[in-house]
Amino acid sequence: MKHAMLTLDYFALSKEAKALKISSAAKVIRIALLADCATQHLATIMRAIAARNGVQAELYEGNYDGVDLEILDPNSALYAFAPQYVVILLSSEKLKARLYASGDRRTFADETVGRLENLWGAFRAHSQATIIQSTFVLPSERAFGNYELKVADSVGSIFTEINYRLAVKARETKNVLLNDVDFLAAAIGRAQWLDARMWNMAKTPCRLEHVPLLAQSLLDTMFAASGLIVKCVVLDLDNTLWGGVIGDDGLEGIALGEFDEGEAFVGLQKFIRELKRRGIILAVVSKNEHANAVLPFREHPHMALKEEDISVFVANWDNKADNIRLIQKTLNIGFDSLVFLDDNPFERNIVREFLPEVVVPELPEDPSLYLQSLADLNLFETASFSEADVQRADQYREEAQRELTKTHFTDINDYLTSLGMEIRLERFNAFNLPRIAQLIQRSNQFNLMTRRYGEAACEAMMKDPSLAPLTLRLADKFGDYGLISVVILKHAGEALEIDEYLMSCRVLQRGVESFTINNIFAYAARLGAKRVTGHYLPTAKNDMVKGFFKSFGFEKVAEGDGGASKWALAVDDYRVRETFMTPVVNEL
Amino acid sequence: MDKNEIIKMHKNQIVSHLTPIFRDVFNDDTLVVTESLTAAEVPTWDSLSNINMIVAVEKEFGVKFSIKDVRNLKNVGELLELIKRKAA
Repeated sequence: MKHAMLTLDYFALSKEAKALKISSAAKVIRIALLADCATQHLATIMRAIAARNGVQAELYEGNYDGVDLEILDPNSALYAFAPQYVVILLSSEKLKARLYASGDRRTFADETVGRLENLWGAFRAHSQATIIQSTFVLPSERAFGNYELKVADSVGSIFTEINYRLAVKARETKNVLLNDVDFLAAAIGRAQWLDARMWNMAKTPCRLEHVPLLAQSLLDTMFAASGLIVKCVVLDLDNTLWGGVIGDDGLEGIALGEFDEGEAFVGLQKFIRELKRRGIILAVVSKNEHANAVLPFREHPHMALKEEDISVFVANWDNKADNIRLIQKTLNIGFDSLVFLDDNPFERNIVREFLPEVVVPELPEDPSLYLQSLADLNLFETASFSEADVQRADQYREEAQRELTKTHFTDINDYLTSLGMEIRLERFNAFNLPRIAQLIQRSNQFNLMTRRYGEAACEAMMKDPSLAPLTLRLADKFGDYGLISVVILKHAGEALEIDEYLMSCRVLQRGVESFTINNIFAYAARLGAKRVTGHYLPTAKNDMVKGFFKSFGFEKVAEGDGGASKWALAVDDYRVRETFMTPVVNEL
Repeated sequence: MDKNEIIKMHKNQIVSHLTPIFRDVFNDDTLVVTESLTAAEVPTWDSLSNINMIVAVEKEFGVKFSIKDVRNLKNVGELLELIKRKAA
């Protein structure tokens, strides 16, 4: 991916392929190429490009035009090779030949997609490998001219339908990824993609000069599927997201709007916003006063990106490499999953120098070309997309703001106070039951008894006068954590027993535990109980809370099998802990 | 490369342009390209590398060969003639 920036010259790569220098420790990927065209040129170039990325590509090339046979025969050399990825690369020339020979054109799309779906299924029965299915390049000759798509059974219409239906089937099928060869061809120009002479002489899938693009595209898909993906884009501001310098030119002076350069910057911003929607975290690193840097985000009518789109916003006069280190640390992601966009060659070079793993694309001088130059690099390949991706940026933003705020405080108490935490201590209610049951099932680490009550049991507790079943919700100035803790108290004669106590680890070290125990003792005092008791029941995962009771001054009063222990503390002996949150609701 | 330049070129000059291409695509740094050289004499000259060679020569001289042109080539001498003919 990073090496997409190097020129992908067919002959240079062919030469490289003859003497590949790959470390013996290099990651190996095993790729099977199944095709109805020649794959030798493609295989050679794939080896060379993989090597540029520090990966050793072991390739198996199936028999020419033997796709169906190799997949359907469980004893074929394909399965003996044990690939991690199998590429099914199908040519338009062969599809056209089938179509011309077909008796009934109306069923041809059905039959073609059905055939491939059948092959995917047959392959999955024998292999766990990921299938990478190519799309068909639309032919550049049209029997109907512009009327082609008006006719349902024209070659152009049928190809278009097959590509569309392949995509729909692939969405529904696990382990099948698409490689959109038609997109590649269209980007080059379909008439330029295939060299008819080379097809006729050697059955090459495309012009030799485009083989590297095809190879890179296939490898991009595999690299993404193996986790090598861009997770965060770090953005400069002045002359990258808008034209001009906000600190000098002011809000009205920067170029951002509906025409000329201003329109180019808006276009780039909209694409970046689309990246955010697709789960990529956005960060800003700008040499600016913070107040100036945020001004366009807050007040410029043409800013497509808003402050809340940016997970980490760093505006200062420090070295950008240091600032990117800070971002990397804050987000806790690899440097190789960061892309840095800056119009200034000096800044780009500093980052390349100090953080060689960060992907730093060259940007052309004209901002109108920024977007296309990014598109050419295909930096944002992925092999999955889910609802979680849509929300990721917001979650990271909240977390990152907390982390960054932390760095400004040397005293943890000042920091906790600055969070403006609000806590709600509530009794179980019907509305919360599903979330309560879910938290009870999922919490492993901060879980003292791990009793795993189900939803029905929780519901029954609401009516039991001997119990006080409680939940805690926490919010702070950066966001709402939702329901984060469950505590079940049991009246047991002179004692108030903590029957269950668990908490989400996302809110550790904020003093929620102190708040909780303070309130338990206050409640015990109001009840007239003499002491509070509780158990620690060890599991494979709750070592974290082994010393929990002791830390609040409880004494161990009994020890059971497998390290289980019972703890007690007299109500009069409890020392109230300091907390830094405001109780908004307290139903205890 | 300028077409007029190719037309004026002596065959030896064309050979000197072909030598690095042949050495590259046939993976032999000591290959001596002569007019009489044929595919049979070069172990790495197969149908695949032949395609690479044709495309590389087209690129170097800025010419396009037809399938028939390529199929009829017997040796390097004929390739030289073909290049000159296409440039004319």
